[in-house]
Amino acid sequence: MSQAPVLELRGIDKSFGPVQVLHDVAFSVHPGEVTALVGDNGAGKSTLVKCIGGIHPIDSGEYFFEGEKVHVGGPRDAAALGVEIVYQDLALCDNLDIVQNMFLGRERRSGLVLDEATMEELAARTLESLSVRTVTSLRQRVSSLSGGQRQTVAIAKAVLWNSKVVILDEPTAALGVAQTAQVLDLVRRLADKGLAVVLISHNMNDVFAVSDRIAALYLGRMAAQVKTSEVTHSQVVELITAGRSGELGLQNGNGATP
Amino acid sequence: MRAGPSQEEIRRHNLGTLLRHVHLGGPTSRAELTNRMGLNRSTIMALTAELTSAGLVREELPRETGRAGRPSLVVRPESARVYVLAFDVGVDRLVAARVGLGGVILDRREAVRPREGFGMPEVVAALAGFARQMHRRTRPDTVCVGAAAAVCGSVGPTDGVVRFGPNIGFRDAPFGEELTRRLALGLPVTVGNDGNVGVVAEQSRGVGVGCRDLVYLHGDVGIGGGIVVNGQLLGGLAGYGGEVGHMVVNPGGRRCACGSRGCLEAEVGEDALMELAGRGGDVVGREAVRAIVDAAGRGDVRARDALNRVGDWLGLGVANLINIFNPEMIVFGGVLRELYLGAAAQVRSRINTSTLVASRERLRLRISALGDDATIVGAAELAFAQVLDDPLEVLSRLG
Repeated sequence: MSQAPVLELRGIDKSFGPVQVLHDVAFSVHPGEVTALVGDNGAGKSTLVKCIGGIHPIDSGEYFFEGEKVHVGGPRDAAALGVEIVYQDLALCDNLDIVQNMFLGRERRSGLVLDEATMEELAARTLESLSVRTVTSLRQRVSSLSGGQRQTVAIAKAVLWNSKVVILDEPTAALGVAQTAQVLDLVRRLADKGLAVVLISHNMNDVFAVSDRIAALYLGRMAAQVKTSEVTHSQVVELITAGRSGELGLQNGNGATP
Repeated sequence: MRAGPSQEEIRRHNLGTLLRHVHLGGPTSRAELTNRMGLNRSTIMALTAELTSAGLVREELPRETGRAGRPSLVVRPESARVYVLAFDVGVDRLVAARVGLGGVILDRREAVRPREGFGMPEVVAALAGFARQMHRRTRPDTVCVGAAAAVCGSVGPTDGVVRFGPNIGFRDAPFGEELTRRLALGLPVTVGNDGNVGVVAEQSRGVGVGCRDLVYLHGDVGIGGGIVVNGQLLGGLAGYGGEVGHMVVNPGGRRCACGSRGCLEAEVGEDALMELAGRGGDVVGREAVRAIVDAAGRGDVRARDALNRVGDWLGLGVANLINIFNPEMIVFGGVLRELYLGAAAQVRSRINTSTLVASRERLRLRISALGDDATIVGAAELAFAQVLDDPLEVLSRLG
């Protein structure tokens, strides 16, 4: 189970003007595992993810992918490595159908025209490989889909590109019970297929239900990265709210570097 | 001392094994079967020819291989022709399905089971009615090779007697015999416990494929369980093993329908959850559990507390199973899917504090991949057991 991390960050610092958002953050993601990234609002989760995705350049620190040190200068570099991010607002176009959304900006062409048949087949194969049975027609407009189905399409879009790391930002926020179950099941299946999955969530039940590791950020520092089988709910809550829990976490509670 | 198996026995075994590969793995090329079974090509060819002439499989050219050379023929199960009847008796619903070889559900019927006044005679009549309806719609060249039912109660392994099913009001009920008589297929109806067939379903077609040590927990009104140890279903002396729902987790706790107190099923079952959440009886079953999980997610404190309490007991029960069996996987099925997802923090915290590190470090906790269909799929696998053991004998008996 514990293979070498596919993605590893060491000593990441990031400031926006005078505000330092990330302090010396280390973070690793393993293939076949779901790593939950938790933290209070403003702890730096989104910034960290955007640094991984190449949207924000990092000030200092090292970025390793499959053991090699790499430089990620922009979103295209991250995508080329095989890192896909599914944002909370999903970035799906309501007026396009499922296939068009999945290939948006990366359409297949045959000669001068779009190769619709191939795209549809690839989309169908991806959804099938994820055992998605909730979508009836691939030519349905995204506006007609439910919240859970949209989330499914957004995740499938990320998987379509042979990605190795998929980062999901609050995929179950605002979903009902049945749809949450569907999405969590899909998240778990991605990891069981061998992908490295990062799940950002505020819902501790979702975190405990599917994750193998939990990384807790506290005021821009990585408080701890632990195995889910080794911690309790209250320990994780303490890591999120106080940065430490007993032996775990930052030993100096105010967030200063020890 | 007995001599080694005869050639005839080996051939029968190989036929069964090949059919099982195609049944569970779907269409498979002859070359792939040669690899998996470790037999030579001509043997595989002879076996497939025999199964083809019996009408159990069919051989086809593959669509595309993308490789050079003559493509190996693909062996497919005759799903539309060879089928079984599978039944599921839950507390709130009755399901009947016609399932083709290869595990394809060809047709299904479902009805709500009223909780009052619906004993064995009514259940048998309803299921037999479904079977008749489905039979009328089959083509004349089809053949039914088995029938089996999943029941939420303790079931004798061979006689089909439901010894004790408190949630459906069955007690020493000769359910298998009655259903066999009413169906009049010339085939006995095998009966299995819902947890036991559920674990088989998850292991053969669900989330547990490839797992040799797994525990399946099935939540209906009570909790059923099935335990697979080193690839074998744990039955015990008389086949009643695996009743994890009656493991006592809280001595002196809530009264259980079995007469004991503080059983897992009494502390985690629907009644306990509804009472703790202060819910009345107009909505029951899965919908009620879902409503409580939903309310907890929206901030209903009473529902949240109820889930935490129930989650803690569930965690304790699962922790005991982990310490005893050191399983590779625990699967939550039935309403326990929703319950686990809604209380996972509590369940796993309890597991992490109450189990030995060595027993849990490689454990995977999963929700059922087959969902509500786990029991019906499992019943179908039970019904297919005979034809997979000795394909030609079963067909000749029916023919």
